[in-house]
Amino acid sequence: MRAGDAVRPRGPAQRVLAANTWAVYVFLYAPILLLIVFSFNDNRIVGVWNTASLRWYREMLDNAAVLNALRNSLIVALASTAVSTVIGTAAALALERFRFPGRRVYDGLVYLPVIIPDVTMAVMMLLFFVEAFVIVQAVLGISPSLGIPTITLSHIAFNISFVAIVVRARLAGLDPALEEAAADLYASRWQAFRRVTLPLIMPGVLGGALLALTLSLDDVVVTSFVAGPGSTTLPVYVFGLVRRGVTPLINAVSTVMLVASMLLVLGSLLIQRRSPDRA
Amino acid sequence: MTTTPSPASTATKASEALAVSTAAVELAEVVKRFEDVTAVERLDLRVPDGEFFSLLGPSGCGKTTTLRMIAGLEIPTEGSVRIFGEEMGLRPPNRRPVNTVFQSYALFPHMTVEQNIAFGLQMRRTAADETRRRVAEVIELVRLGGMERRKPQQLSGGQQQRVALGRALVNQPKVLLLDEPLGALDLKLRQAMQLELKELQERVGVTFVYVTHDQEEALTMSDRIGVMDAGRLLQVGTPEEIYEHPRTRMVADFIGQTNFLAAVAQGQGEARLADGRTVNVPPGSTSGVAITLALRPEKLSVVPAGEPSPSGANQLVGVVERRVYLGSSLTYEVALEGVTLRVRQENTPSVAQCREGDRVGIRWDPASTTVLEE
Ligand SMILES: Nc1ncnc2c1ncn2[C@@H]1O[C@H](COP(=O)(O)OP(=O)(O)O)[C@@H](O)[C@H]1O
Ligand SMILES: [Mg+2]
Repeated sequence: MRAGDAVRPRGPAQRVLAANTWAVYVFLYAPILLLIVFSFNDNRIVGVWNTASLRWYREMLDNAAVLNALRNSLIVALASTAVSTVIGTAAALALERFRFPGRRVYDGLVYLPVIIPDVTMAVMMLLFFVEAFVIVQAVLGISPSLGIPTITLSHIAFNISFVAIVVRARLAGLDPALEEAAADLYASRWQAFRRVTLPLIMPGVLGGALLALTLSLDDVVVTSFVAGPGSTTLPVYVFGLVRRGVTPLINAVSTVMLVASMLLVLGSLLIQRRSPDRA
Repeated sequence: MTTTPSPASTATKASEALAVSTAAVELAEVVKRFEDVTAVERLDLRVPDGEFFSLLGPSGCGKTTTLRMIAGLEIPTEGSVRIFGEEMGLRPPNRRPVNTVFQSYALFPHMTVEQNIAFGLQMRRTAADETRRRVAEVIELVRLGGMERRKPQQLSGGQQQRVALGRALVNQPKVLLLDEPLGALDLKLRQAMQLELKELQERVGVTFVYVTHDQEEALTMSDRIGVMDAGRLLQVGTPEEIYEHPRTRMVADFIGQTNFLAAVAQGQGEARLADGRTVNVPPGSTSGVAITLALRPEKLSVVPAGEPSPSGANQLVGVVERRVYLGSSLTYEVALEGVTLRVRQENTPSVAQCREGDRVGIRWDPASTTVLEE
């Protein structure tokens, strides 16, 4: 704080602002706190505190449906993250480094999944799969159905955009002369990418990947549209449970998901802030 | 669009190039256009092996673009680039026998000094022990001992500059391209590095193509200078030729300071000035042709107004308008009829000094006049 700020008396405006800040914090974090606290509640009735216990966490681990949904979530998240990180990085490179016909249009289209509502995205994907299935059946004679692969493909579709945006921000700050210097020092395009560009954009790539992982693990809307029977992910399963009434089990599962998401976001931020050129 | 020269014309040009001795770098009728901007316009240039050649010109005149076309970072719109007789065509930078010291240095920020310097050798799959030996040699050569493990941002500007130099030199390129390599350094360091670079070039014997907008730098370091303006190469010559015998007003004006006097050639080595007076000039211009006389300030001297001029010397009379004291020298601005001439005089005891307002004679040897016909 500068010296000038310290001597200035706190007027009513400042007090209102400070109060507002606190109100926002309470508004945001009180529910989260409640959720966590009640996940350790031994009582079957959600809102009534009994004694602290790990009962619902134990129940969660014994629940086959929860574990199956968790497994599905992890498969979808890891697969869609891997694929979308590669494609998203490639898209960022293409948009930032090369000139090609239709670049501007492509530029806009890449960001579309970020802008359009989840429900629209979900309906689009479902429609796409239904149409694709018709064609696949006509051509190959096999009849595919909705399931883990369609969920994964949908997650790839929206994750590419997020990865591309994060990687591109990193690329924009990279001096193009570095790649020219690599080429001047006999590096092929691939070598220049591997030895110079990639290490320098790595924080962006990893940050994008973690963001993709988080988004995939959290998605409900798109997934519930394109999921088949028996292929629910954890958040979709929780959503289903809630409709039948909130149980403390949901609190436990939600707390686990919350902690996992926060760790991923934190990791993403840390990686993006770390730059490889700092010694 | 890039036009590749037809095989036939390439062949005849190649044999011509071989007939004369092979130049390290040869540009023939090179044109580079960026959409609506013409950066380089029909440039012809031969740089012999082992020469320290400078491209000198104001900012935006196309120096960097020319250098990048030699490096392969830009492909000419028209014309051909040859390196040691070999047509470069569309060949990418990684397959050209040249290395570049970039204006911004472009050091790899995630690599140490050592790794930066070893990069080129590694890309060419040099054996590990030879790489180590050559990197160590170059670190010695560019005086970076003890800095091997540092990252670029832990170095001063001068040290970074030397890493960029070492990173290029370690590959033993046939031609080293340097784009204003000293531009980011302060004056003292720049002057020290000028001498160091020149010495280095003589020691390793590599052809240097050196881009600068600093005329003093070009004069100090170069074997030959090419003066560029607006995408064109105006004149190529030794520093002395360029300074003493500029062929155009632009060259005379850009290199050093010059007084210009409009005149009309009279034949027999005489010219008539605008106010009717006649002066002696080096012979050669056809009578009646409008010419410009270029006179360097240090070739003029100020003498007392009444003093008779020795035969053959030119002498005009004017009034001292301004006197600028520069320590080792003095500059006078002397108003004649219609023009003001700048005169530089050494600050030695034998030279009489004048004051502002004095009526003085300005005297010069006709042989030191450059006649520009434009
Ligand atoms: N990539 C480019 N695209 C468009 N114009 C360019 C490009 N590179 C250079 N130019 C233009 O070409 C001219 C010469 O530039 P440059 O070679 O960088 O000049 P110098 O190095 O002498 O300052 C300038 O007018 C510049 O704006
Ligand atoms: Mg330049």
